[in-house]
This record gives sequence, structure tokens and C-alpha cells, in this order.
Amino acid sequence: MSTPMELIKQKRAEAINRIHSKGYLSTKRVYVGMATCEIAAGSKEVMEVFSQAMKNGLTDVYLSQKGCAGRCNLEPTVEVVEDGKIPVKYCKVTPEMAQLIVERHLKKGEVVKEWLIK
Amino acid sequence: MTRDFVITLCDGPSCMQKKSKELKEAVEKELEKHNLANRVRINISGCLGMCKNGPVVVINPLYTLYGQVTPADIPEIIQSHILKNKPLKRLAIEEDHLYNRFFRVFGDVNFFGKQMRITLRNCGIIDPESLDDYLSVRGYEALAKVLSGMAPQEVVSEVKKSGLRGRGGAGFPTGIKWELTAQQNSDEKFVICNADEGDPGAFMDRSTIEGDPHTVIEGMIIGGYAVGAKKGIIYIRAEYPLAVKRLQKGIAAAKAQGFLGENILGSGFSFDIEIRLGAGAFVCGEETALIHSIEGHRGMPRPRPPFPSVQGLFDKPTLINNVETWANIPVIIIDGAEWFSSIGTQKSKGTKVFALAGKINNTGLVEVPMGTTLKEIIYDIGGGIPNNKKFKAIQTGGPSGGCLSEEYLDTPIDYDSLAKAGSIMGSGGMIVIDEDSCMVNIAKFFLEFTQNESCGKCTPCREGTKRMLEILTRLTEGKGQEGDIEKLERLGNMIKKSSLCGLGQSAPNPVLSTIKNFRVEYEEHIRDKKCRAGACSAMAVYEVTDKCVGCGVCKRACPVKAISGAPKAMHEINQDKCVKCGLCFRNCKFDAIIKKG
Ligand SMILES: Cc1cc2nc3c(=O)[nH]c(=O)nc-3n(C[C@H](O)[C@H](O)[C@H](O)COP(=O)(O)O)c2cc1C
Repeated sequence: MSTPMELIKQKRAEAINRIHSKGYLSTKRVYVGMATCEIAAGSKEVMEVFSQAMKNGLTDVYLSQKGCAGRCNLEPTVEVVEDGKIPVKYCKVTPEMAQLIVERHLKKGEVVKEWLIK
Repeated sequence: MTRDFVITLCDGPSCMQKKSKELKEAVEKELEKHNLANRVRINISGCLGMCKNGPVVVINPLYTLYGQVTPADIPEIIQSHILKNKPLKRLAIEEDHLYNRFFRVFGDVNFFGKQMRITLRNCGIIDPESLDDYLSVRGYEALAKVLSGMAPQEVVSEVKKSGLRGRGGAGFPTGIKWELTAQQNSDEKFVICNADEGDPGAFMDRSTIEGDPHTVIEGMIIGGYAVGAKKGIIYIRAEYPLAVKRLQKGIAAAKAQGFLGENILGSGFSFDIEIRLGAGAFVCGEETALIHSIEGHRGMPRPRPPFPSVQGLFDKPTLINNVETWANIPVIIIDGAEWFSSIGTQKSKGTKVFALAGKINNTGLVEVPMGTTLKEIIYDIGGGIPNNKKFKAIQTGGPSGGCLSEEYLDTPIDYDSLAKAGSIMGSGGMIVIDEDSCMVNIAKFFLEFTQNESCGKCTPCREGTKRMLEILTRLTEGKGQEGDIEKLERLGNMIKKSSLCGLGQSAPNPVLSTIKNFRVEYEEHIRDKKCRAGACSAMAVYEVTDKCVGCGVCKRACPVKAISGAPKAMHEINQDKCVKCGLCFRNCKFDAIIKKG
């Protein structure tokens, strides 16, 4: 019989496999804040833009929701994480901005500097 | 600004002593030499909790921690990590603390870099609705560690050794509470998570649950194992629907994976968690009232002892802790009590989450090591006061807390220092007040809340707070009388002494502390009928200055026809008719009307 510790290690390995199979190893990972505060600031609509873009054929991107990181007055926030680069943190994202982040950053790799958290 | 690299230098007290300043100079010099200054950002962080390896330098991307770095090592580090994109193995250290991941993503932003996220380590990092995400960041490993060979006794003593104190407000040593509950002989015991969070403006617990529900669930299972309980209850207000949904989802997922239910991970230990919704009464956050509420009675406190640890829910021994307290447990188990207790001050260990609000540039949730000063939170993390206004006071501890003036800004934040200064840590509300706010009005705001929320059981709390509120209302209306301050003090002290629970015992605090620290303002309200902040509108005096061009806008706006004047001539306000509504002041396009306190 395996010990609880052995079991948890196995479960973790399985969990990581499942996350990978959902596309975690894509070049870019996009996290959209989806806590009560973020949603009140309009993050649901922002999320919708990203998931629609994925449905319309945006590839090599992993999309996930996340909790609140704590910058209330800058919400909604969106992070684009890419291995080997400083994670990019956008603030006060509107659906229109999200559309541009898809076009410029996710598709062309161009960080929209004006919208970053300072 | 994104740059290609960020070099973080730990500026915690221990690293600083070990010369982090010289390191910074060495880094700057080296960047200059290679012409890298605009590709690399230097970031100064708060304590990173790796003091024994200090001074610590972190470079991201290729997230690497370098330990015991001397200025002489800097050229080699920069050569390898930044110029060749290869972390320098020789000085790299392995410190896999649970909180490292947050820093990896957010550490280069000043607001986050100065923080130390233990409780909120996964908030903003993982998908809170995915158990897989939690598992991938070593979730439930603490539970497995406990079940793989730690006796309940050892778990209790680990928590005791960590020095963790309750984050719900009172700061009672968590380990001692656990020990007391564990010692009880009973056929049944309970574990409760207090997620009532009634303080106005506080949202630490909601954020923790919404961002990382499994850490609370895992903490509770470990607590159940340690004290010998089979059943856990999360008491959460119905006003937190998203948090409730994520907890429900989390509990179901944990059950499906065998972390809850019968025979957890094959260890023979069984535990289950149920959610109870509260209707949002402040007093139901008090532990005995909360227990009554779960039992189906009206939420009213009862005298202690017996403490819930001895006689709690359905008269069984009950371990009750706050959300944030629970969220610390997995960290203590994995990273160890010794590491945990290396953070913080002598008597307050670990970190504390604060909800920073009010007149401050960066509002939000901040988590800092105990011992951080109020000044560091307000200016370094909070970014100071907006619009160049002057700092006046900081209110800590919510409606049970107090207001501290400028002279207390260097107070290190821990349970005892804040109490000594005349306020409390409380559950972590922190409201910054600038010169435009009236302290009498602030005190009135908090008292209005507690007065409303008094359950009515104790006469001093029920009636006394009402009388105090009447006096405060009178003061803000410019109808204060000589002796009112003394009356407030007498009533306040009496209510504190003769109320049964913490609500009444602390309700007068905002009033008493503002009288102590801002007595002049009370006196001005009474003697001079004056509010220096100009916030008490009944006492404001509006006057027309010679900037007036006689446009007549104010005259038309005035609802009581108190303003007169010919077109293009300076207007005048009849003070006897004026009702102080401020419409003229707000409508004037020439800033020609001034408001005097
Ligand atoms: C009026 C009143 C309200 C309280 N509200 C809360 C609350 O919302 N959340 C909480 O955790 N503790 C609250 N407490 C403190 C609890 O009584 C209790 O001390 C706490 O749940 C114990 O957990 P801890 O040791 O982990 O802090 C309140 C106390 C009083 C007197």
C-alpha cells in the first residue's frame, strides 16, 4: 500500500498531465482576474473576448481564470505569461483593449506598453 | 515598464544588515559597464524570508535565487545570467517556499514586490476552481505529510511552535487553542472556519476563498486530524455567493479525489466539511454567537468560559479559527514552524493581510511580514496620499479599532505594538484618512455601524452606543455642548467594561481613540462650531470672493434664495438664510465661492 505522501505525488503528476493536455505548454498563458471585485469591474466581458478569440482559431495560447491579486483600483487585470520573459501585467482592461491585446500581443508578440501596471 | 530582466534585491532587515546597499551599488556599476541600464530593472523588495541565505538576489526571467551574494560576485552573475542567459549555478540556491510563485509573476511591480504573500500565495496565480491547479502548486501535500507519519500531537506542537496567532481579530495563540481542543475527551468534536467577515471595508477572507479555496479546506482537514474531529463547518455569509460557489466546487472536487470523506488517502482518518450560510449580522462573527447561529438559534453571544474549545457547537469541543488562520496551516506544515517563526516580530509571527482603503493611491490587498511599519505600508506599498493632501490618521482594526495620528507612523505592525499605540490589529482593515476628513465624523461612521449591529442583549451596548451616537450627531450638526467630550468618555469606558462580547467591549474604541489623538477637533466642534476639515456640512460657511464675475449661476442654483447681487457685480450670501447645501460652491465655474470649516 502506498503512503499518503506517495499518493499525493502521484495525484500531482496526474494533475500536471491534465493541465498540460489542456494546452498549458502553449507559448503564451493568459490569466484573467475573476473574483467578485474583478467581475464587478467588468472582467467577465474581457474573459469573453479572449475565449471567443480562442474559438475563432487563436492557437498556442492557454487561457485561465485567476483570483484577485489585490490591486483593486486597477482591475480588471490580465496577465500574459511567457517562459523566459517577464510576465506582462495589464490593468483596467476593457473588452476593446482585450481585443487589441489579442491582435497585437497574442498574435504578433507586441506588448502594449501603455496599459501595463507600473 | 517591462524590461528584459528584473533584478530583485532583498531589503529585509537581515539582508540589509548584511550589506544589500553595497550590492545595489555593485549591480548599478556593472549594468552601467555593459550598457544594460535600460534593459534591466532593479527592484528592491521587502523581506523574502530566506534570511539565513542572505543577502538574497533574485533574477527573473529564468527565475533564480542567489544566496550569500557579495559585491564581488555581481560581475559573474550578470555575465552569466543576463549576458549569456544562463543562471549561475555556483551561487544559485534552492529555497522552494510555497509563496515563491506569486513573486515570480508579480514581484517586479513595486506594490507587490514589497509584500510577502503566504496566505495569499496562490491568489492571482492559479485557477481557483481547478483542483488540478492547486495540486500542481503542492496542494494537499501538507495534508499528505501529516497523514504519512505525524501524530496528531506533533501537528499541534508544530502549530504551537510556529507562533501563529488567530487572524480573526483577537490574536489568540492558535497552537494553544488547538492543544486545548485536542485534550478534550469527547465522542464528537467540531472544526469551524469563521468566514463571516463582518467588518465594513474588509475583504481579505473573501479574496482568500475566491482566489484559493483549497488552502482553507486543506487547513481545516489538518486541524480536524490534529484535534480529533471528523466534521468541519464553514460559516460564511450569504452575501459572498462567488466564494460560496468556489467552496462548494472545491469540497466536491476534494471529495472526488479522496481528500475529504472516509479513509482519507488510505490513512484511516475520515473528515467531512459542510457549508453554513450566515445572514450577515456583524455579531454572528463572534464565536459564541456564530455557534448559536449554526445551532439554529438567534445569533447572540454567551459568556465565556466555557470556551468553545471545551464546550462549543452542540456542547461539543469545537476548534474555531478564521479563514486567514486556516490558510497559514499548510505553509507551516510544509515549510516548517521554524521557517514560519523566522518571519515577523518577537511575539507576532508570519504575515498579515490588510485591506488598504481610503485616501491612498494604491488601494487593495496587501500582505506584509509582521513588524512592517505603518509608514512602509502607506508610502512604499500604498503609494502615499492622492492629490498632495496631507496625511491625518490611519484607522486600523475596523469598527473595533482606533485611529492613529502621524506620530504613530513608525509603529511596527504587530498585535502588541498596535494595542500599545491605542488601536488594534483586528481582522486587517486599514483606512487612510487625509486632511479633508473630520475625525468626529469618522468616529460617528463607525459607531453608527456598531450601534446598528448591536444584538441588544447587553443594555450598555444597546442603549449606551445609542446615546453616544446621539451626542456625536449633535456635534457634527454644530449643536455640541460643553461636557459632551467627558460624557462620551464616561459612556464609552462604561460600555467597554460592562458588555459581554467583543462587540460592546470595543464599539467605543473609534470614539475614544479619536478623542485621545484628535481632542482639539472635538473641542472646535463644540466651542467654535467649526469643522476644520470642512466635512460637517452643517457648520460650513460659504462666502463669495472677489473672483466673482456676477454670472448669476449660484443665485439660480440656490434653493432658498439666499444669494443676491446684480448681474456682473459681486454676489453675496445671506448667512441667516443659507442652509449649507453647497450647491453654489459646486456650481460656481470661477472658484469664486469658498467653503470655510
Ligand atoms: C463582534 C465580533 C465580530 C467578529 N467577527 C469576526 C469575523 O467576522 N471573522 C472572524 O474570523 N472572527 C470574528 N470575530 C472573532 C471571533 O470571535 C473569534 O475570535 C475568531 O473566529 C477566532 O479565530 P482566530 O483565533 O483564528 O482568529 C469577531 C468577534 C467579535 C467580538
